[in-house]
Amino acid sequence: MKSDTPNADALNTGALNTGAPPFAMTGGRVRLDGREVLRGIDLTVRSGDVVAVLGPNGAGKSTLIKALLGLRPLSGGRTEIFGVPPARFRDWRRVGYVPQRLPMGGGVPSTVREVVSSGRTARRSRWLPALPGDRAADRAAVDRALEAVDLADHARESAHLLSGGQQQRVLIARALAGDPEVLVMDEPTAGVDAANQAALAGTLGALTGDGRTVVLVAHELGPIEPLVTRTIVLDHGRVLREEAAVTGDTVAGGTAA
Amino acid sequence: MTEMLSYDFMRIALVMAVLIGLTAPAVGTFIVQRKLSLLGDGIGHIALTGIGLGLLTGSSPVLAALAVSVLGAVAIEVLRARSRSGGDVALALLFYGGLAGGVILTGATGDGGANLNSYLFGSISSVTPADLYVVAGLAVVVLGIVAVFGRELFLLCTDEEVARASGLPVRFLSVLIAATAAVTVVISMRAIGLLLVSALMVVPVAAAQQVTRGFRSTMLLAMGIGVLSAVTGLAGSFQYDLPPGPSIVLLALAVFAVAAAGGAVLRRRRTVAAAARSTVEAEAEVLGG
Repeated sequence: MKSDTPNADALNTGALNTGAPPFAMTGGRVRLDGREVLRGIDLTVRSGDVVAVLGPNGAGKSTLIKALLGLRPLSGGRTEIFGVPPARFRDWRRVGYVPQRLPMGGGVPSTVREVVSSGRTARRSRWLPALPGDRAADRAAVDRALEAVDLADHARESAHLLSGGQQQRVLIARALAGDPEVLVMDEPTAGVDAANQAALAGTLGALTGDGRTVVLVAHELGPIEPLVTRTIVLDHGRVLREEAAVTGDTVAGGTAA
Repeated sequence: MTEMLSYDFMRIALVMAVLIGLTAPAVGTFIVQRKLSLLGDGIGHIALTGIGLGLLTGSSPVLAALAVSVLGAVAIEVLRARSRSGGDVALALLFYGGLAGGVILTGATGDGGANLNSYLFGSISSVTPADLYVVAGLAVVVLGIVAVFGRELFLLCTDEEVARASGLPVRFLSVLIAATAAVTVVISMRAIGLLLVSALMVVPVAAAQQVTRGFRSTMLLAMGIGVLSAVTGLAGSFQYDLPPGPSIVLLALAVFAVAAAGGAVLRRRRTVAAAARSTVEAEAEVLGG
């Protein structure tokens, strides 16, 4: 699996697994409540890919990206993050996960800034007190992330009182605050109106322009379509087809709901 | 007021009330956000078995309660993580076992009845300086944990999967917050009583979140409400010869009622103001004022 990364020997300064692809799953199976949700998935996401996972409801899209992150244990097959199985993976700052929504929890409010700042948690030691430089770096990263999603004006507001599209951007900003190489997004366009989808596409375009790897789940691509380099269409827990998008308009015509 | 302060036990109790008022809502903010509002209640039941063990063996009931309730909290967390659907029933078994065990054990000590009552509903006239030192030490531990692990606990309580995908030790943190809640229960039980102890972890937070916008501000305001209701509740109970625990809890509930009414108005204004701002900037001032 590692042998198919051609640039592995070019990047010999970092850790051993520098050249390993962000995600590599072979024969991945996931069982939830006795039902097989993923039934043998082979998927390699290479550095710089913008992969869209498409498919109808219940096809296993969200389960797939959660399995890639190790959030759903595999019942068969194997998966690796940068060449390391999720359970042993330690370099989580390279990965940013954007879940589908911001849970209400018990109703304790959080400001937009608090939510976005929590994206820096993986970068900080819990034992060492933060140095003034660390705090400044944290603040700057959070400011950049808020700017990137155009929410700087809302930093002090309660995140739960924002619209669905704005909350989605808060979650993206949280992932961006950690400055990850790879973004994994669960339905970033669900419940987001057309204007906000276009704004989201703009944000994503800037990110992928920086060379970031993106794996996202979507019902339909909409304005994101031109950014996507590859689509995976899932159905009943299997890959129905996988196609590289040479030009934006050749992908996934039939599956959009 | 001056008469109250001329009693040694009241001075001790008032310091205790401040410590309880600070620690219980601080831990409670995380507990509430994790949707475990009744966790403190369950731990209170389990702590009773510790009290019984302490009384029966002639050792310190407080330390025995501490040991048993921390073990119970860890057990609760393990059960919750293990069984997704059956966790609820497993918790109930633990709670009732703790309560029944506590009643039997304290009963076995002979004069258990009066003793049991003072632990169930709180009794400040019996607190000693030694009790205060234990409580102060534990309060420092609890607030220290909140300070050191606060960032990680915030992320854990916001979204456990995101916490996992950020590389946080989710299982350790879950056990940590449950164990910290157990320590808080033991801190508060002398003044408030085991049956009402979790009220001071939950009610000030519920009141504060009606009017705040952020997590940190909720926690700080809840701690303020906690100290206010613990101190005034204690003073009131001395003045009017009422049991302290219920007085403190009723005061906290009164604050909640006021905050809920005020919060409804405040949220309405904010929503209207936000909606107006996103459509027509100029109209926001009119509607907000």
